[in-house]
Amino acid sequence: MNRDIDPKLAKKISFDLKDTVAENRLVGLWRLMKGFRWLYVGALVAIAIGALARSLTYRLIQFVVDDVLGQGLFMDKLPWVGLAFVGLAAVQGGFSYLQGIWTAQTAEGTTLRLRNYLYDHLQRLPFAFHDYNKTGELIQRVTSDVDALRRFYADQAISIGRIVALFLVNFLMLLQLNTRLALLSIIAMPMIVVMSYLFFGRVAKAYDLYQDQEAKLSTRLQENLTGVRVVKAFARQPYEMEKFDGENWEKYQLGKKLLIMHALYWPVSDILCSGQMILVMAVGAMMALRGEITVGTYMAVTGMVVWIVWPMRNLGRLIVQVSTGLVSYRRIADVIDRIREDTFTGVVPEDTAVRGAVSFENVNFAYVPEPELRDPKTQEQKDKEALEQVTAEDLEPIPVLHDVSFRCAPGNVIALLGSTGSGKTSIINLLLRFYDYQSGSIKLDGIELREYSKALLRSQIGIVEQEPFLFSRSIRDNIAYGARRPVTQEEVEAAAKAAAIHDIICTFPEGYDTIVGEKGVTLSGGQRQRVAIARALLKDPRILVLDDATSSVDTETEEQIQEALEVLIPGRTTFIIAHRIQTVMNADLILVLDAGRIIQAGTHATLVQQEGLYRQVYEIQSQIEEEVAAEIRSPDHVVVDDLVATTRVGA
Amino acid sequence: MSYEFEEEEFTTQFNGRVLMRILAFLKPYWYWVLGFVIMIAGTSVTDSYFTYLSKLIVDEGIIAQNSERLRQLLTTYGGLAIFQALTVFGFIYLAGVLGERVQYDIRRKLFNHLQELSFSYFDKTPVGWIMSRVTSDSQRIAELVTWGLVDSTWSILNITTSLIFMAIINWRLALLVGCIVPVMGAIAFWFKQRILVYFRRVRKLNSKITGAYNESITGVRVVKAQVREEKNLEEFSFKTTAMYKSAYRAAWLSALFLPIIQIIGAFGVGGVVWYGGLQVQYGDITIGGVQAFLSYLTFMMWPIQDMARVYAEMQQSIASSERVFSLIDAQPDVVDQDGAIDPGYIEGEVTFEDVTFRYEEGKDVLQNFNLHVRPGEHIALVGPTGGGKSTIVNLICRFYEPTEGVIRIDGRDYTGLTQRAIQSRIGMVLQTPHLFSGTIRDNIRYGHLDATDEDVERAAQIAHAHNFIMELENGYDEDVGEGGNLLSVGQKQLISIARAVLADPDILIMDEATSSVDTLTESYIQMGMDAVMEGRTSFVIAHRLSTIKRSDRILVIENGKIAERGTHSELIRAGGHYYDLYTRQFRRDREQVYGLYGDLSPSTA
Repeated sequence: MNRDIDPKLAKKISFDLKDTVAENRLVGLWRLMKGFRWLYVGALVAIAIGALARSLTYRLIQFVVDDVLGQGLFMDKLPWVGLAFVGLAAVQGGFSYLQGIWTAQTAEGTTLRLRNYLYDHLQRLPFAFHDYNKTGELIQRVTSDVDALRRFYADQAISIGRIVALFLVNFLMLLQLNTRLALLSIIAMPMIVVMSYLFFGRVAKAYDLYQDQEAKLSTRLQENLTGVRVVKAFARQPYEMEKFDGENWEKYQLGKKLLIMHALYWPVSDILCSGQMILVMAVGAMMALRGEITVGTYMAVTGMVVWIVWPMRNLGRLIVQVSTGLVSYRRIADVIDRIREDTFTGVVPEDTAVRGAVSFENVNFAYVPEPELRDPKTQEQKDKEALEQVTAEDLEPIPVLHDVSFRCAPGNVIALLGSTGSGKTSIINLLLRFYDYQSGSIKLDGIELREYSKALLRSQIGIVEQEPFLFSRSIRDNIAYGARRPVTQEEVEAAAKAAAIHDIICTFPEGYDTIVGEKGVTLSGGQRQRVAIARALLKDPRILVLDDATSSVDTETEEQIQEALEVLIPGRTTFIIAHRIQTVMNADLILVLDAGRIIQAGTHATLVQQEGLYRQVYEIQSQIEEEVAAEIRSPDHVVVDDLVATTRVGA
Repeated sequence: MSYEFEEEEFTTQFNGRVLMRILAFLKPYWYWVLGFVIMIAGTSVTDSYFTYLSKLIVDEGIIAQNSERLRQLLTTYGGLAIFQALTVFGFIYLAGVLGERVQYDIRRKLFNHLQELSFSYFDKTPVGWIMSRVTSDSQRIAELVTWGLVDSTWSILNITTSLIFMAIINWRLALLVGCIVPVMGAIAFWFKQRILVYFRRVRKLNSKITGAYNESITGVRVVKAQVREEKNLEEFSFKTTAMYKSAYRAAWLSALFLPIIQIIGAFGVGGVVWYGGLQVQYGDITIGGVQAFLSYLTFMMWPIQDMARVYAEMQQSIASSERVFSLIDAQPDVVDQDGAIDPGYIEGEVTFEDVTFRYEEGKDVLQNFNLHVRPGEHIALVGPTGGGKSTIVNLICRFYEPTEGVIRIDGRDYTGLTQRAIQSRIGMVLQTPHLFSGTIRDNIRYGHLDATDEDVERAAQIAHAHNFIMELENGYDEDVGEGGNLLSVGQKQLISIARAVLADPDILIMDEATSSVDTLTESYIQMGMDAVMEGRTSFVIAHRLSTIKRSDRILVIENGKIAERGTHSELIRAGGHYYDLYTRQFRRDREQVYGLYGDLSPSTA
């Protein structure tokens, strides 16, 4: 997929992470490394070898002191001993290098794969998932939680491995040198570890408080900045300063508390570690004085003890960090666990030419909500989660469409009329298979919709939404977004011209390269819509869906959009979600919807003849026109008070 | 929720002037600085001395078979350990608390300065940018002046005292080691610089990746409808691959860096053993001395590495401070003139005389604008977005001042008044009401800080907000949430009206909401607005026909000019812009009344 990347890595990163999810979080983290595991094990082995080489350096010192210098022998070997030091350092350095790159390959490779997978996963998860999960929450999971895992692989697990390796290697070496001293050298160990664990546990809590206060401070600041008009309008600057100062001061106090904890922990643990050192030194020195051990042994022992004692102080911090990393795994696994929609499977050949005959037969559709993602971050949430679990199973399907039937020929214009929640959008959603219908049948060119792959189906349908979503990339890219083939500048311009947006684009300094959105131009509603129309033109779909939005733009723009649509519609089966009779009058088929049912169907001519909602709406609109005329005729006349009318109808 | 994705570029090299300004933050606390520098110096020197003590223990205790001396040395060791613990406590506490304090000071300074800045500054500067200055940059500066100082003091002293002790043990060997130190230092600096470059790249890519995630989630409907999944993933994987490469490169450099330093150190160690060993033979150096040299060499890696790291971080902090200073140096456009007065009250007469206004050169938003408003008059401003309605309102509030021409309040050029005199007597109800976190009571009281609870409730009653407030579980003590987002738009509007009522302003400015609210709330808002406008000069950017029709005068603002002015009936008869606007809106309103237009909201499932 990406030519830019080492093929071996490319292979490793392209596999389904679904199967790696495990209930046990450590198992899950292990599986997530699939393809990199040997590297990671290699990194751990490299750490052990490095630690061994370090220990051997002290053994070498022992040898030098006792056998070379002490005995005055082998003086001619000194250069060789010197070289041996360099050699051992080279081994240490070499393995440290290997550990470094293997760890990085694992950590970065695993997260690269995870990031790509999650990105793809999110865009392929069904709508029901996105309906119920907030963007901010999802972003958090795919960014900061993923980074927490990266740190777990890159740093935390490795650091723990290093501490353990240093401990084991040096301790075993000490045991071999002198059992008594070895045992003596770990007396304070349990205390150091326990203290460190307790301390970092508490610090983590204090730190959370501190961070919460930081968040409060940011909120205060943000509210002040976004509400700058209010602050200035009420001349409340002194009050705002006072409030901000209060939060700021509170944070300073919390910071002080946090610091006192640190300022106490580190010296106390220093004293413990130093005490341990002095104990070994004292006993070792006495033994050396008594001749129980050689001077060289004494020096080797005191050298090695350093590597047992001091790293232990950080173990508690790592354990606390790892536990938060594990929470992050759960939060990610929860996303991975969700099932994607299948856009590929279909029996209809991909090159089938779609004509655009659509039929619905007794279609029933109930919306099946997906449970929200769980958040295992805190204990309280775990309890709440238990409650939510129950409600999650209780998630009842919500009936939306009942017995919907209609059919249309290729090139027809079908208007959907009805109030919010009547089911207009749901019909479109089913047509695109954003959701799946439970019973009945929807056919495109006489073939059941499920026989098409979603990719094929959707590539044949173009949508112009009421408030089109544009991406923060160039206008050209936005127009070419749905084309699924390389598009030339001429084609883009042609589409833009047809959509009556070309001239406006040309007024931007960077023309078609102008970036849309925050970092570029802000387009008005009407302009966005015309870009969306150009996008649909370039996609050249057989079926078109228009969410009639001319209601939110001024007369001039409305006309321009209408003109653009007149280019777009001919020859395509077109569904118009309509709000006004005027827009639907020329439709080949008008479907009047109410509460998920089609209550009337036909052309304008037939529908106005019938008793029913359509005629009611039609009559009301005619009445409105009369009211407008009346209003204009006598401007001094106090019209029916909007309020009274509104309240009456509302009640 | 807004996301600030782009990470800023760092461009800075060292700059003495900036450094001086940074140090100025420390000035009030110089004795703290002195304190922690002494403490860390104590820690550092003790560290080096421990190694020397170990040498003495071997040479003068063990090898000399002197148990008395040994006990003495070990006692010294223990005593020093306790002394060092005290210095450690001292520098962590002093430097840490000072860091917090400096951060507190910087933030306070920034926030207070922000309150002074004019509107034009906030127009040009995104909120996210300002937020980063106040939050992360202030933190970086505080860390630089405390921990940066701690680390560099420790490193420098550690290296120097180690070298001194080595020289005491054997000056020739010390000279040899002294030659290695600069080499190690140079390598360390080289590596840290390179590593930092890649880290910055990673951060930048990271914000791009976050942006990509955000877009594909918010735009998922388009992605699916356009079947863009594959292409999107391909584009995304370019970003993540680039990130992989940069991150890996940084890790690779780090992985290479340590061994290189280590091996250079090992040559030193080897040299010491060889040369030192030979010297032991001639009695120039002792066994303990050799050991001490080995220790010094092994542990010298850390201060060298630390110095390189601190230096690299320092560059970032300097860049941070330059941005912070750019904020501090920003001057407000609107300032009280010398001799500006506060007359104590405002009648409410407002005059625009030939006012021209532009935000940027060459683009006039208002041109030769003239308007005279009598006290108590109700003015409705209508017209297309961007026509200049908000500008007029902003000028009245003196959020901006006219580029040309004069605005008079009660006949007096308003630049002769203090900003406070004007702004404290203007009430404002915004289109998207802005509430602050806190209770409803707090938010209403914002209009008049000394108001009693009774005053607050009375204001709420006048604004017709009382009823809905009483229906809430905690009444006036209900929490409104961040930015008021636990309440509906309509409820927020009612509260902001009550706030304006409580402020009891002489001039009222109102930007009517376009978004639809439920009918009951809507009628409350109408009644509340009528109540608050009563007897005050008011300017309403109007969308509701009833408000427009009831106003004394209607101004149709287009392209920075008054296109039409007059009463409703005059303008309808004229059949111009207002006629179009009105009939359009009228039609829409009626449709809404009849319930045909219920689906104005964006389509959802």
